[in-house]
Amino acid sequence: MERKLSKVLVANRGVPAVRIMHTCRDRKIKTVAVYSTPDRLAHHVAMADTAVHIGDAPPGDSYLKIDKIVDAALQNNSDAIHPGWGFLAENDLFARKVMDAGLVWIGPPPGVIRAMGDKIESKKMAVKSKIPVIPGISNVTTAAEIRQWMESDGVDFPIMIKASASGGGKGMLKVENEAQVAAALAQVRSEAVKFFGDDTVLVEKYIERGRHIEVQVVADEYANVVHLFERECTIQRRNQKIIEEAPSPSLDDELRRELCSAAVHLMREIGYVSAGTVEFLFDSRARQYYFLEVNTRLQVEHGITELITGLDIVGIMIDVAMGRPLPFKQSEIRPNRWSLEVRLNAEDPRTFSPSFGTITRLYSPQGPAVRISPGYYEGADIPPYYDSLIMLIMATGADREDAIRVMDRAISKNLRIEGVKTLAPLLLSIIRHPKFIAGEFSTRFIEEHLDELVSMFIEKDSEDEILKVARYVAEISALGTPKWI
Amino acid sequence: MVKDYIFVKPGLPPREIVDRVRSLKGVCLTSTSMRDAGQSDYKNRLRIYDLKTLAPHYNKMGLFSAECHGGARWHVGVMNRRESPFEEIDLLRSLMPNVLLQTLIRETNLWGYRPYPPNVIKYVVSRVDIDVWRCFSFLNDVRNMRAVAEVVMNRGRLFEPVICFTQADWATNSYYLGVVKEIVKLCGGTGEIILCIKDMAGVGSPRRIGSLVDAIKQRYPDLLIQYHRHTTDGLAMPALLAAAQAGAKILDVQEDSLARFYGQPPILSVQAYLEESGIPVHLNRQEAEAAVQKVRSWIKLYEWAESPFRGFDYHVVYHRMPGGAFPSSFEQAEKGDFLHLMPAVLALMSLYNKIIKYFDVTPGSQITWVTCSGIVNKYMKEGGEAGVNHLLNLMTKFVEEKAQNIDLMEPEEQEELYTLFKNAPSDFKNLILGKYGALPMGWPADWVYRSAFGDEWKCKMLERNNISPLELLQDENLEKQKQDLTVALNKEPSEDEFILYLMHPKNTLEYIQFRESYGEAPLVLPTDVWREGLRKPGCKVDFELWGKPCCIELVSVGDEHEGFIYVVMRVNNKTRVFAVSTPRAKKREIRMAKDPFEVGAPINGNLWRIGNPRRGSLKVGDIVHHGEEIANIEAMKMENAVVAPFDGQIEEICVKLNDIVREGQILFILRKIAHK
Repeated sequence: MERKLSKVLVANRGVPAVRIMHTCRDRKIKTVAVYSTPDRLAHHVAMADTAVHIGDAPPGDSYLKIDKIVDAALQNNSDAIHPGWGFLAENDLFARKVMDAGLVWIGPPPGVIRAMGDKIESKKMAVKSKIPVIPGISNVTTAAEIRQWMESDGVDFPIMIKASASGGGKGMLKVENEAQVAAALAQVRSEAVKFFGDDTVLVEKYIERGRHIEVQVVADEYANVVHLFERECTIQRRNQKIIEEAPSPSLDDELRRELCSAAVHLMREIGYVSAGTVEFLFDSRARQYYFLEVNTRLQVEHGITELITGLDIVGIMIDVAMGRPLPFKQSEIRPNRWSLEVRLNAEDPRTFSPSFGTITRLYSPQGPAVRISPGYYEGADIPPYYDSLIMLIMATGADREDAIRVMDRAISKNLRIEGVKTLAPLLLSIIRHPKFIAGEFSTRFIEEHLDELVSMFIEKDSEDEILKVARYVAEISALGTPKWI
Repeated sequence: MVKDYIFVKPGLPPREIVDRVRSLKGVCLTSTSMRDAGQSDYKNRLRIYDLKTLAPHYNKMGLFSAECHGGARWHVGVMNRRESPFEEIDLLRSLMPNVLLQTLIRETNLWGYRPYPPNVIKYVVSRVDIDVWRCFSFLNDVRNMRAVAEVVMNRGRLFEPVICFTQADWATNSYYLGVVKEIVKLCGGTGEIILCIKDMAGVGSPRRIGSLVDAIKQRYPDLLIQYHRHTTDGLAMPALLAAAQAGAKILDVQEDSLARFYGQPPILSVQAYLEESGIPVHLNRQEAEAAVQKVRSWIKLYEWAESPFRGFDYHVVYHRMPGGAFPSSFEQAEKGDFLHLMPAVLALMSLYNKIIKYFDVTPGSQITWVTCSGIVNKYMKEGGEAGVNHLLNLMTKFVEEKAQNIDLMEPEEQEELYTLFKNAPSDFKNLILGKYGALPMGWPADWVYRSAFGDEWKCKMLERNNISPLELLQDENLEKQKQDLTVALNKEPSEDEFILYLMHPKNTLEYIQFRESYGEAPLVLPTDVWREGLRKPGCKVDFELWGKPCCIELVSVGDEHEGFIYVVMRVNNKTRVFAVSTPRAKKREIRMAKDPFEVGAPINGNLWRIGNPRRGSLKVGDIVHHGEEIANIEAMKMENAVVAPFDGQIEEICVKLNDIVREGQILFILRKIAHK
C-alpha cells in the first residue's frame, strides 16, 4: 500500500533544503522548513509553506537536534522528513526516531545507514562483495600501531588517517611523514568526537594521484537496484569536492560497466533502498579502482546525474519512500549529455578562508544549458556557523568541451556576487586550465597548481570598475571636496 | 587642399628633427599647456580629462612639441589628481600621434626630490616613452646631466639640455657661454640637440635675452635655441621677439584662454606679434584658435586652483621666484597663516639671492623659499612686525650698503648674522657643502658657514667638495626596492608603479591604494563631479568606461547616523546604497598581526580552543614551544591549528574563547625567550 505523502519537513537549510523544496513544489507536496535563530530570514524559510524555529545558531543547538525536529514535523502534521545532505542525513538514530514517530523517512533504512556509516564495517562488506579495498588498519588509537602496520605491510608515506564515521571531507588527514603522525592522529580523533561523536579511527595507504569516481544508485523496497552511471569528483580542496562532472573522463566503457555493476552488486548485497552513492578511488595509471565508502544520502552533486539522465533523484527518493517501485529498468537509463558542476562557496579563492556576511548583490548565471541550485537570495546573510556553499552552478553540453564552454560563460559573464568573497575566480581558472581541459588531473590538482591558478584570476571586471567610480562619487557627494584635491 | 602643418613626428631620429627645425622659415612653437602652464597658474591641477580635449587640435597644429610631462606634474598627479604620468602618455599618444611629447626632467633628481645614482637614472629614463627630454640643473652643473643625456641619446630620443637663466650682475654672457661649451662637449656637438634657455621666473629683459641668444649663435651658429619664458614680469612678448630676432628657433607658448600671470605667453598673440615684426610663425592658426576656444569650455572649473595672489609682478626680477613656485608658495603661506608676511619673504629672497648664488628652480627654489620664509617667520614669532622690519633693515644694510662685508657691520649685527642660517633646512646646508654639485659662482662667503653650522663651521668647510653627485652616489639595490614595494602592496607591482614609487614612495603607495578603491574615477569623471560629487538628488553624471556608457544618478544622501551617511544612487539604472563612513565613524578596531611576535589567525572562524588538549588552556606568562599548537580555530566544520612560530612566552592573549576571529587578527603576542 502506498504511504501518504502530502507534507514533508526538510531537516536542512541552504542549498539542499531549497533543492528538495523545488521537487516538493513540482509534486504539489507542502513543505515545512526548520531554522535556527540566524536563519530566520533564510532562503529555505521563505520557500517553505511553514517554518519552525528549532534553536540557536550552533548546529548542535538546532539542525542536529533530533527531538526538536521530529516534534516540529509532528506538530505541523508532516507525513515525512527529508534530511538533505550534511547535518543528520547519515544519522541512523535520527532515521529510526523519525520512523518510530510514525513518519516516513525519505532515505535508506537505518540499519543500512549504520552499517555503511562505519568505515570499518563498510570495508568488510565491500570485501565480501569482492570489490578491491585500500590496504589499511582499523581501530587505531596510538601512533605506534600505525608504525607497526606500515612496517609489517611494507607501506610508505603518505598515509591517510580517517575517522571511521568521517564524511564530506571532514575528519580525515593526509600524513606525509613520521613526524606528523601523532599530531594528525590526535586531530582526527578530536574532530571525530566533535563532529561524529565517535573517535574510532582507521588508517589507509594514500593512493597518490588518485581520482575520485562514484556511482549513483537508486533502489526500491522490492530489491530493484539501478545505477544512474558515474560521476567524477576528483577536483577537491582540503578533501572537499568543488568541481564534479558526469560522465567521468577517466573511464572507458568497459571499466565503466565494471564499476557500475560492482556498485549495484554491493548495494543489492546490503539491502539498499532510496538514493545512495558508492564511492571509489581510481588509480588511473594502474587502472585499478578501490572501494572507498557508501554515501547513504542524497549527494551535493546529484544534479549532474539528473542532467545527463533526465531524472529527478529527489523525486525518485519520494516515490520510493511512498512505497512505489522504481518506474524504470536499468536498460532504460541512457545518459545523453555531459554535465559539469561547480560549488560556489563563500571563501577566499586564494586561501579558502571562509567569508561571512551579507550578499549585497547576487546575479545568478542564466542562458542556455545552465542550471542553478541556489541557497541564498540577494540581501541574505551568510552566517559563520554552517558550511559555505552559496549555490551550485551546473552546465550541460553535448560533450565535455561543450559543457566546459557553457560553464565558462556562466561563471565569467553571468555570475555576480558582492559582499562576500567566493571561489568563482578559482573555479574559472580550473576549468580554463589546459590540464583540466585535457582531463589530466588528480585529487591533488588544486594544491599542485594553486599558484598558477591564482595567477590566472581575472583582475578586473567592468562592473567592479563602475562600482569603484560610483563609490568615489558617493563619498564626495556625502562628504564634500576632500582636502587632498 | 588643406595644408599639412606637421613637420616633425615621433619616431624621427634627433638629427632629422633638428634639421627639419633648422630648415623652417621663421620659428615654431612648443605648447606648455599640458604641463608648465598648468603648473604655473593652476598648481598642476589641470586634469588629463580636460587637457586631452586639446589633443585632437594639437595633432594638426604643427607644433614642435607639447610639454605634457615632468616637472611637478608627476608628483601632483600622484598626490592630488590621482593620475599616473604613464596613463597620460598612453592617452596622449593615442589622441595626438603626430606630436612630439616633451618632458621636463631635473638631471640627477629626475622627477623626484633627491639625487638618484646612475643605475636608477638609467632604469627610469630608459622606461619612459617621451620624445623630447628637456633636462636642467639648478646649478647649471652640466656634469649632473650626463647620465640622463647618455640614456636619452642612446635611445635615439631628442635631448634638450637647458641653461637656467637669471638676470644678475654675475650671470654674464661669458658665464653662459662657458655652460654652453660644456653642454656641446657632453652632447658631442650641436647636430643632435636643441639648447633651451630656461627663463623660469620670467626676468629676462628683451635686450638681455637678445644679447644672450646672439652671443650663443655667434659662437655656435648651428646650435638650435629654444626660448622658454614665464610671463611674471609682464615683458614676455617683447622678450620673445628679441630672442627670435637674435636667432632662437622655437618658443614656448600656451593657449590664450589658459594664460594668467605666471605661465607662458599666449599663442595667438605671439604669432600675431612676431609675424607683424616680420618673423614667420609655423602654426595652423585655425586649429590653434579652436584649442583656445576648447579651453574656455572647462577652465572655469579650475578657479579654485588659481593663486591667491593674482596679477603680474615686476618685482620678480628681484626675488626671482619661478613661475611654478609662485602660486604654490602663496598657497603655502595662506595655509601656514603668514600670507601677510609674503612681501617680507619676497624682500628677503631678493637679498638672499645676492648672498648665495644659484638658480631659483627646483630644487633650488624650494631651498630659497623654505630658508627665507623660515627666517621671516622666526623673526615674526620672536619680535612681531618690528622684528621682521629689523631683519629686513639689517639685511638691506649688509647687502646694499656694506657690500656684504661682515667686518663693516656692528658687533651685535655680526652676531645676528652668524645665527641667520642656524635653523636653515638640511637641503640648504647640503647645498653649500656641494652635495648637489658645483655652485655656479663658487662657494658662498665664510660667514654663511659659521651662520649655518655654528661651532662646527670650520670643519664643515673642509667637507666641501665639488664632485658631482653622480660620481658620489652608490648604485641602489633596485631588486630590494621592488621587493619592498611588493611587500607593501601585497602583490607584484607593475613597471609603472615601481617607477612612480622610486620617485615618490609614500605618495605612490597612497595613490595605488586610492586607485584600487576608486578605479578609474580620476580619468573618467568630469571635473565638477570629481571635486564636488553630485550636488543634489536627481543630478547625474554620464561617462564612458572601458568603451561602454555609464550613468550614475544621485537619489538621496541620508543624515549621518552613528558615523555613517547612506548614499543611494542609481548606477546604470540599478539602485545601490553606499555606506560612507564619516570621520566620526566608530572604528571597531580589529588589530591585525604585523610584527613577527604577533601571532595572527590563519583563517576566519570560531576560536574554540586556547591551548591544546595535552596542556589544557594557556594563560599570559606561559612558555610555548616552536610548533606547539596554542589555539584552534574552527571554520566551516574544520579545525585549524594555530602554532607557536618560535619558543616564547605569552605576553598577551588578545582574544576570548569562542570569539569569531578574522584572518590575520592578532591572537597572541609572544616574547622571545633566550635559549640556554
